[in-house]
Formats: sequence, structure tokens, C-alpha cells
Amino acid sequence: MKSLQEFKEFFNQVMMPDLEALDKRRKTVVKRSLLIILFTLLALLLATVIYLSMDASKQDNNSVFYFILIIAVIIITAIIFGNSWARDKTFYTDFKQQVIEPIVKFVSPDLTYEPKNYVGSDSFQRSRIFLNRVDRYSGDDMVHGKVDKTQIWFSEIKAEYKTTTTDNKGRRRTRWHTIFKGLFFIADFNKHFQTSTVVLPNRLGKGFLADFFKKMNFSRREKLVKLEDPGFNKYFVVYGEDQVEARYVLSTSLMHRITEFREKHPNHLYISFVNSFLYIAIAYTKDLFEPSYFKKLTRFSLVQEYFEDIQLAVSIVEELNLNNRIWTKQ
Amino acid sequence: MEAGTTLLIVLGVFILFAILGYNRLVRLRNMAEKAFASIDAMAKKRYDLIPNLVATVQKYMEHERSTLTEITEMRAKAISGDLSDNEKVDLDNKISRAMGGIMVAVENYPDLKANQNFMQLQGSLNEVEEQLSAARRAYNAAVTDYNNACQMFPSNVFAMVFNFKTKRLFEISERERQNVDVKSLFN
Repeated sequence: MKSLQEFKEFFNQVMMPDLEALDKRRKTVVKRSLLIILFTLLALLLATVIYLSMDASKQDNNSVFYFILIIAVIIITAIIFGNSWARDKTFYTDFKQQVIEPIVKFVSPDLTYEPKNYVGSDSFQRSRIFLNRVDRYSGDDMVHGKVDKTQIWFSEIKAEYKTTTTDNKGRRRTRWHTIFKGLFFIADFNKHFQTSTVVLPNRLGKGFLADFFKKMNFSRREKLVKLEDPGFNKYFVVYGEDQVEARYVLSTSLMHRITEFREKHPNHLYISFVNSFLYIAIAYTKDLFEPSYFKKLTRFSLVQEYFEDIQLAVSIVEELNLNNRIWTKQ
Repeated sequence: MEAGTTLLIVLGVFILFAILGYNRLVRLRNMAEKAFASIDAMAKKRYDLIPNLVATVQKYMEHERSTLTEITEMRAKAISGDLSDNEKVDLDNKISRAMGGIMVAVENYPDLKANQNFMQLQGSLNEVEEQLSAARRAYNAAVTDYNNACQMFPSNVFAMVFNFKTKRLFEISERERQNVDVKSLFN
């Protein structure tokens, strides 16, 4: 596992030249965008001034003229924006190639980075973490490869479902609700198993009533699994199809490691074990691995964040000891 | 007449509670028994591995002959059936200890440690061992639920009336308990 100090050296020695060049382009992108906005505002102002200075007696004609002027300004702005966006798109792809990819390779050279690819919705649904119907699914920034003996895949994803309501005037309204947004991680687990075990955040706390409601989760085919680690139970509630296999997967040491991982990273953490695969969903409110147009790319703290987000996903393998292949699964 | 109706209702409610309470105890006891059966199943899986282990190991291990014979005898006794639950548990613990001893002794035989056959067997054994431990933990969870029902009010009343007795928990063996410590040492 790479330390922050090592990354700082890598940042200064290897990444810096690219970052400086890229940052210059970022500045021009920002400058150009500001210019376009300024131009638009000026044009609108000018149109208004012309409109106001016109002969007030021909009110109707004036309004039509004003309307046409405004439309013209909007069309011109759209064309200019479209043009500059086409140019900025290369900034975006270059950012992914020159900033994110080197960091991925730095974390582990065996990993492959695909900026436009993502963990598929079939995997998302196979994980059985979220049982909602998925109506819209998107993502990017896929990383995959082997960390020692363990194959991993992860990417940023967003899954949503929609609801349509009709009000009393017959108007239909569609609303989108986020099921999950954040980092979705899959690893080939180090033990064989057939049934599914799901580890969810414990939102109910503890006590008699909490236990009762945890048990009453009828939306799942998995049943509540009461585990013996109080630290683990504080953060998580577990459902499993098979009481013994759930405990086989969640050994005392793995529970301990998951608890430690959760304490280090207080995001919402969802874990499941299905068909010998481990699925982890880490909720984020921010967009991951995206450029920020208003922050200096050469600033370490910004790039450090990308590094830490990637490192976090890759570190799961070590933190959960997935390379420990002392069972029959190699 | 009024008092009679009231009495009837009270009696009805009581009987309803008794039925529910009784059924709950039966369900919990069955779950505990099912969990015990799964320990048994895992233990059998382990017994099946013992002849393989002995066959692989004995060519190399000159000094541990007696342990190997002992382990074979214990296995024969275990699969012969006609053992009470407590005897099964005792025997199981003895086998665990003996196998643990063998695994430690393996350290003295580098040839054996590098043997492909043995490494595979070791993987299977670790797996069964972990499954066995999972089954024991599942059993303990089921028994805790059952014992709670036997001892906590109001279900303890029905437990007393219908003669449900608490069950003993599996004691986690020294080896399993150590697992937790060892891990924290390495961190």
C-alpha cells in the first residue's frame, strides 16, 4: 500500500509537468466561459437599452423586435458555448488521462482504468444490497484488475428509480429518486459460498424494539442474522439466507476488520456476499474523480483527494484480508 | 351472566397467549436443534478428511505415529454413531486438539509442507474448521434466543409449565478465541 508521502513525491516529480500544462488549459476554459457569459449579459443589456430608447407609440412592433433580438442573442450564445464545449471536452478527457489514470497506475500498476466504463447494473442488482427497481443507471471511472490474488472492479455509479403521480388536473409528474450514488466495489471473495448475506447500516440502533423491527424486514428473502460482535452490531445489521453460511462468511476476524474499516471511513457502507463475490457500496454525495474548474490543479490537496478515494477502494483488499487464501478457493 | 362472560374472555385470552407462547418456544427449540444438526454435518465433513490427512502425512511424520493412530481411532468412534450429544462434543474437541497438534508438527517437515496434495488438504481442513466454527456460532445464537425465552417473563411461565429446559452454549475453544488476539497483534 502506497503512503501519502510516496504519493507526494510522485506528485511533485512525475505528475507536475502534466498538471501545469493542464492547469493552463483549465484557466483558458474558465476565462473563455466567463467571457461568453459577460458577452451574453452585455448583449442582453444592449438589446434592452435599444428597446427602451425606441419610440413608445409603436409598442407592439417594438416588442416583436425585442423578442427577435433576445432569440438571436440566445442562439449566438448557444453556438459559441457549443463550440467551446467541444474544445473543453478534450480538457475533460485529458484530465482523466493525465490525472486520474497516473494515480490509478501509481496505486497499483496491475490496475486498468477506463474513464467511460462502469460497473454494470446487472452486477448492482445481483449484489442484493438495494432491492428497488432500477429505472435509470449511469456511472463512470471504472478501475479493474488484480491486487495480488484478488480480482477487483470498482467505479462510480448512480442508480435511480422513478415515480409518476397524476394530480387532480390530470397533469402527470415524474420524479426521480436516488437509490444509491457513490463508489461500487466488487471483489472475488476468498471463500466459496452459495447463499447471499447482506450487511446494511444499522439505522435502528439497539434494544428490544429495534430488534423487533429489524426482524420484520419482509422485503428481503434473507432473514435477520444475530451476530455476537457488539462493536460490529453497533454499525451494521445483517440478513442472510443461511444462518451458518452467513457466519462462515462473516468470521469473527472479518467482522472486526469491517468494523475498523467503518470507523476509519464514516460514509454509509453497504456490503453483501453473493455467490463467492463481495460487493461493497460506499455512498458519496460528491462526484468522484471529476475536475474542478475553479480549483488549481497543481494544488496537492486537490489531487490528494483523488488519490485517497482510489486508495480507499483498493485498500479494501488488504483491510479485509482478501488475499488470505488459506481455504480451497485460490 | 356478566361475570361469566368476562371470565370466559379472560380465559380465552390466556389460552391464546399460552398457545402462542408454547409455539414460540417450540420454534426456538427446533431452531437450536437444527443448528446443532448443522454442527454435526460439518463435523462429519471433517471426519471424511481425516483418512486422507493421515494417508498423506504418515509417510513423512515418523515421530507423530501415535498421534495419527489416536486420531484414526477417535474418528472411527465418532462415526460409529451411538454417542450422546455431550460425548460428541467432547470427542469433537479432542479431535480438534489432536489435529491442531499435527498442523503444528508439520512445521518440522518442510517436504510435507511443500507437498501439493497436503497443501490442498490443508485448504480443505481450514475451510471445514471455519465452517464448523460458523455452525457453532449459529448454534450459540439460536440457543441464546431459546434460553432467553425460557428465562424471561412472560415466556418463562410457559417454559416452566411445559417443561422447556435451557440448553448449554458451546464454549468457544481456546484456539478460536486466540484467533481474535492473533489478528490484533498483526495489525
